[in-house]
Amino acid sequence: MLAFSLNERAVELEVDPETPLLWVLRDHLSLLGTRFGCGMGLCGACTVHLDGAAIRSCSTPVSLVAGRSVTTIEGLGGNHPVQRAWVEHNVPQCGYCQSGQIMSAAALLASNPQPDEDSIRQAMSGNLCRCGTYHKVQRAILSVAAVAHWEPVAEDVS
Amino acid sequence: MTLTRRQFIRNVSVAGGALTLGFQLTGCSAKPLQLGNATDFQPDAFLRIEPDGQVILQIPKAEMGQGVVTGMVTLVAEELEVHPSKVGYEMAPVHSAFTDPEMRLQITGGSASIRVYHEILRQVGASARETLIAAAMQQTGLSRDVLEARDGQVCSVDGSVNLPYAELVPAALNLPVVTDVALKTADQWQWIGRYEQRVDAAVKTDGSARFGMDAAPEGVLTAVLLRCPWFDGTVESFDAEEALQTPGVQAVFATEYGVAVVAEGYWPARQAAGKVKVSFTPPGGGLRDSTAINDALLAALDGDDFASVRDDPAVADAEQGTLVSGRYSVPFLAHAAMEPLNATCRLTADGCEIWVGSQAPDVAQDVASRVLGVPRDAVVIHNQFLGGGFGRRAAADNVAEVVAIARQLKRPVKLVWSREDDMRHDWYRPAMAGHIEARVHADGTVSHWQHRIAGPSINQQVLPVLMGAMFPQWVPGGARQLVGDFVGKKDFASVEGSKELPYAFDGVSVSCHNVPVPIPLGYWRSVGHSHNAFVVESFVDELAHAAGIDPVEFRRKHLPADSRERRVMDAAAEAANWGHAAAGRFQGIAVHDSFHSCVAQVVELSLVDGKPKLEHVYCAVDCGQVINPDIVKDQMIGGIVFALSAALHGEITLKDGAVVQSNYHDYPLLRQTDTPPMTVVLLESTAPPTGVGEPGTPPAPPALANALFAATGERQRRLPLRLG
Repeated sequence: MLAFSLNERAVELEVDPETPLLWVLRDHLSLLGTRFGCGMGLCGACTVHLDGAAIRSCSTPVSLVAGRSVTTIEGLGGNHPVQRAWVEHNVPQCGYCQSGQIMSAAALLASNPQPDEDSIRQAMSGNLCRCGTYHKVQRAILSVAAVAHWEPVAEDVS
Repeated sequence: MTLTRRQFIRNVSVAGGALTLGFQLTGCSAKPLQLGNATDFQPDAFLRIEPDGQVILQIPKAEMGQGVVTGMVTLVAEELEVHPSKVGYEMAPVHSAFTDPEMRLQITGGSASIRVYHEILRQVGASARETLIAAAMQQTGLSRDVLEARDGQVCSVDGSVNLPYAELVPAALNLPVVTDVALKTADQWQWIGRYEQRVDAAVKTDGSARFGMDAAPEGVLTAVLLRCPWFDGTVESFDAEEALQTPGVQAVFATEYGVAVVAEGYWPARQAAGKVKVSFTPPGGGLRDSTAINDALLAALDGDDFASVRDDPAVADAEQGTLVSGRYSVPFLAHAAMEPLNATCRLTADGCEIWVGSQAPDVAQDVASRVLGVPRDAVVIHNQFLGGGFGRRAAADNVAEVVAIARQLKRPVKLVWSREDDMRHDWYRPAMAGHIEARVHADGTVSHWQHRIAGPSINQQVLPVLMGAMFPQWVPGGARQLVGDFVGKKDFASVEGSKELPYAFDGVSVSCHNVPVPIPLGYWRSVGHSHNAFVVESFVDELAHAAGIDPVEFRRKHLPADSRERRVMDAAAEAANWGHAAAGRFQGIAVHDSFHSCVAQVVELSLVDGKPKLEHVYCAVDCGQVINPDIVKDQMIGGIVFALSAALHGEITLKDGAVVQSNYHDYPLLRQTDTPPMTVVLLESTAPPTGVGEPGTPPAPPALANALFAATGERQRRLPLRLG
């Protein structure tokens, strides 16, 4: 039996410990917001947080998250400052990569609430977008950074 | 561009099953459309208003990021007098009411959705509005001229009556639909040209948007498919003994498309697939290696078997001026959309249900019905959001596969392609070669422009598939292939963007030669324009340099003064401060018409340690009346990123008939760190709207190649380009 915290709720399940976290989320737990893109950690569509840090769930065996805390796009709650900025700036086009983009952005802002353009580009360079929403991603992150009173969410400061 | 009332009815009227569609070649009769409940006001196939006032629009096109849902909602909301954010939407089922009147298929492509539907959808909104007002007239006894629709209500001008649409639905659904309506004029528009919020942004931000990949009918199993690496092989034999011992695996069996491995979830299926030993029938003949294909294309350019698509006689003397020539080539390209292909199938009593993100759900339906051996009507397609399309999802090979698997498995099943499957079994943008020569005269004029194009025909392969859905199913495949072969000799997809030159050159001839290859080909964002713009606009640059004239000045000389192309080019040049780039910066320009729009781009580079670095892209577009400005800008930028990925990195190569590349490490895309800043200028226009999904793509590669020439003095005529 494997146990971990998922979006602040305890989860226990029987699963092959080698199974990537991505497929545990999607196939075992029906959390479909985390996307499968490449299976090799190259595109970032599957990005989730592990103890607040952005990881690629497609290449993270679920055994690695035992006893730890996982947050997915669903766990951000929809009203997270990054999500609000994403809607305000109309970031998504097809939308498929955006869960991953948002999780990377939220992790970046939690560790560096005032990133400059260059650190945004560097931090977001692991997330591919075939529609080419990179400028909007950057602008949305900058808009969150510009709000001085924004506090990183509790999950990220653990 | 005004629709007559009769055309409008033909396009939209299906209420009560009284189909009056003019186009009846779809063969098997369409079932009457049944959406929503009998208590909904449904003036036509596109719209219904529920008793609580909720407006729901059927989206006849695929939403693959291009913003078609927002565009269509905006158009209907404008005339219906409701806020666009209040309009709900659903992906339309397959039905002849949603057949594109121009393409004769329920297909999304050719950047045509808003161009074709903008007036139809405004009519839909206006027709519903006027019928609701008629209901209010009945209810209040007031006349039309003292009533107006405003913000989801019918109001009297004196303010005494305010009836929300919800209160008018019961009366409206018993009234004849008012179809003789006047559309609002541009000065009355609230949303068209102004509405900036994407209506699908929220669901694509909180993880709740559902793509084909997310379909989960009860009891669904996951399948992966082991396909033959070369495209003409089938399963000869396989050994699944070890694979079947993998926990969670349910079945391993052969289909006509490969060996299916079915399990409880993707991971065990993929693990087990790695343990199946399959042998495939050996590859057949034909061109099977990239180098051989490239050699064949270049050799074909020297042949004389060309089909002419344009042949204007020249006035100038054929011996005068300086002869300039250039030989160009481009590679195969993959679509590489972020969502790997997939499809889900559940067998029903008489057919099946399919969940898929498709650009052509009627083609998917036709393909599924053929595999299952049932009438088309027995196949229900639930179209989903597309995690990128770019032309790839007009094909239905994934649907054929999942139906073949479900047919044997007899349980609901989702077929998931790996990224490697997606890269290695695409319907590729073909490799193409082009040779242009022309004479430049002392006064800068150009004559004897001769452009020969050699490459595989997309439509020879794809039209027979699309025609499967267009024609009755008794039309034999051989007949459809004959049409494909005929079109292939002079494929419009091979020559688009080469024969419609905007320049006033003396004596233009364009011809093509089909070089068939045993590799699946398909439409790739901007299709023929994707390579012809590179060849033509690079060569125009060559001519400018041969004439010793600045490339913008040279184009200006050949673009009619009042032409759209000239205005667009000037706007891009002005945005880029052409001719006055900062020290160490180098600029290249290209202007290209595609999908009824005109786009010009200036790429600006610097040299860092002798190596070119992208600094900025300036873009100007005239796409007629803009509906949603922010989406148009995003489409231009997205189209440029897509094009630059190809121009700098994109190359699919083949070895022994199989694709070499497999994932994003060997088929790289532009990343956040590689993407330069961009400026987009939208030209004001009151002309009807034209395409935006594709037109941003064609000019970027030649603008980049021209900037590289400005920076390095080296003319690169083959894509992908080398930076240093």
